[in-house]
Amino acid sequence: MQPESPKDVTDYYKHLSLFWTDIIHLMSSKPQALTSIGPMRAFAANSKKITTELIDINEVLLEFNQYITEYYKQLSDTWSVAQKKVNLKAPDIPQDVEQIEAFKRIWIDIFDNDFTELFDSGKFGVNYGKLVSKELELTKHWNNITNVILQSVNLPSKEEIDEIYKEMHSLKKRIGKLELELKKKEMKSNAK
Amino acid sequence: MQSESRVDPKIIEEILKFSKNVIDAPNLVAAPDEISLEVTPHDVVQEMDKTRLLHYRSLTDKQHKTPLLISYALINRYHILDIHPEKSWVKNLLQQGFDVYMIDWGTPTSIDKYLDFDDYVNGYLDSYVEYIKNESSVEKISLQGYCTGGTIATAYITLHPESVKNYVATAPVIDGWRDTTVISNLAKHMDVDKMVEIIGNMPPEFMYYCFSVLKPFEQGIEKYIKFFKNIDNKKYVDSFLRVEKWLSDTPPIPGALFRQWIKDIYQDNLLIQNKMYVGGRRIDLKKIDMPLFTQVAVGDHLVSPECSMPLHYAVGSEDKTLRMYPTGHVGMIASSLSQKKVLPELGQWLAKRS
Repeated sequence: MQPESPKDVTDYYKHLSLFWTDIIHLMSSKPQALTSIGPMRAFAANSKKITTELIDINEVLLEFNQYITEYYKQLSDTWSVAQKKVNLKAPDIPQDVEQIEAFKRIWIDIFDNDFTELFDSGKFGVNYGKLVSKELELTKHWNNITNVILQSVNLPSKEEIDEIYKEMHSLKKRIGKLELELKKKEMKSNAK
Repeated sequence: MQSESRVDPKIIEEILKFSKNVIDAPNLVAAPDEISLEVTPHDVVQEMDKTRLLHYRSLTDKQHKTPLLISYALINRYHILDIHPEKSWVKNLLQQGFDVYMIDWGTPTSIDKYLDFDDYVNGYLDSYVEYIKNESSVEKISLQGYCTGGTIATAYITLHPESVKNYVATAPVIDGWRDTTVISNLAKHMDVDKMVEIIGNMPPEFMYYCFSVLKPFEQGIEKYIKFFKNIDNKKYVDSFLRVEKWLSDTPPIPGALFRQWIKDIYQDNLLIQNKMYVGGRRIDLKKIDMPLFTQVAVGDHLVSPECSMPLHYAVGSEDKTLRMYPTGHVGMIASSLSQKKVLPELGQWLAKRS
């Protein structure tokens, strides 16, 4: 496997890392039995999962950087345009308190208008949505790494906790509805 | 040769005065944490999970027969409707002889991530309405929904119209596609499935970000300059700190509820098209046939009037009133304008029908 493009390079190192962790895992399966119940349990398999997540994090970070660069570009472009408008509207340096107050009002009004226009625009909304989406993907990889560590010390993963939450929610909902129905029936019979 | 100084001495004076105010501020003003936002006395008469039903103690000898339940918004806490003795929405209604209840939705935690519209509408709200009907010995109550609380109240009324005598919709979030605010722009482009799947509940920090892009320079700079300039004005400072404290207290929103709210209201706009489902039942706005009083604020930059007003035209009610006020989202419920104009008009309307 020969790397040619940046994507190939990432894939190459991903493959390399997986290859060696798999081989080490196979080669060391017997001595590993010695650590079958401690935190080092399934060390090779866990290392492989963590390595995979770290490689994926790097890929997400590249995209995240694109969107955050665009985010700050949009902010700085809007700032420049707004500042030019202020300079045109109030070209003189304010000399007294009243002039400073008037200048401040112009500055705030123009900046608020221009930035609100930016935040209201489709281009901002789309880029911001993608930026948040990439942040969430980073969080997901971090969650996955934490899950590997949690499971290595016999603690429940986020998914397992979520299953319990879901089950509890469903039970509470059923009990709540039954209680409410009972109350309504009681009230009706009391009214009679 | 002497160079003539062009700096106005008043500027120096202003800078020195401002600096003095900043230094003196901690000695003159309470820290936000030291301020209690509980204003009008009330009792917690019911609790369900983390939500509470508050009953405000009467301030008049005689009361209107039909009690009023306020379904507060999902964003921030209920305190804004009772933020200051002189600007309290609740106190004003009590003084007009109404029996007032309010829902505190509480502070959801990770365990509440699966709570959805059905839980809020057919669970909490329905239970509290039943409790009030029972306590007050009435068959119907008046319901007020504020902001996102208006969305919940609207869904509730279409599913349980037999329990509601009058509906007061205050800046309700109804028609997401017509909403012209920054919030709706961000909501429309959000991958809400991914957010709920990975994070669970909507984090308060995300809401703080949304607040920070609303008039960022007026709200982020000028507001605080005014605060320090007016540090000697006790009334101004007290009011300012109360609202600031309220603004900074944003609970998370349960993931499942947040997902449906963003998708059904802002992204797919199902509510106004009568295509939204709650607990497996369709929300048909035509089923709102009781008297309706819709209040919108012209300068609302959280829920634009275009987003709220379609409710007035979509319902089946014949007795309906639409009022527009020259103020903002918070100004409509917690300002001198709300005390002098908004609440007296609401009180008159409600009294005739209670």
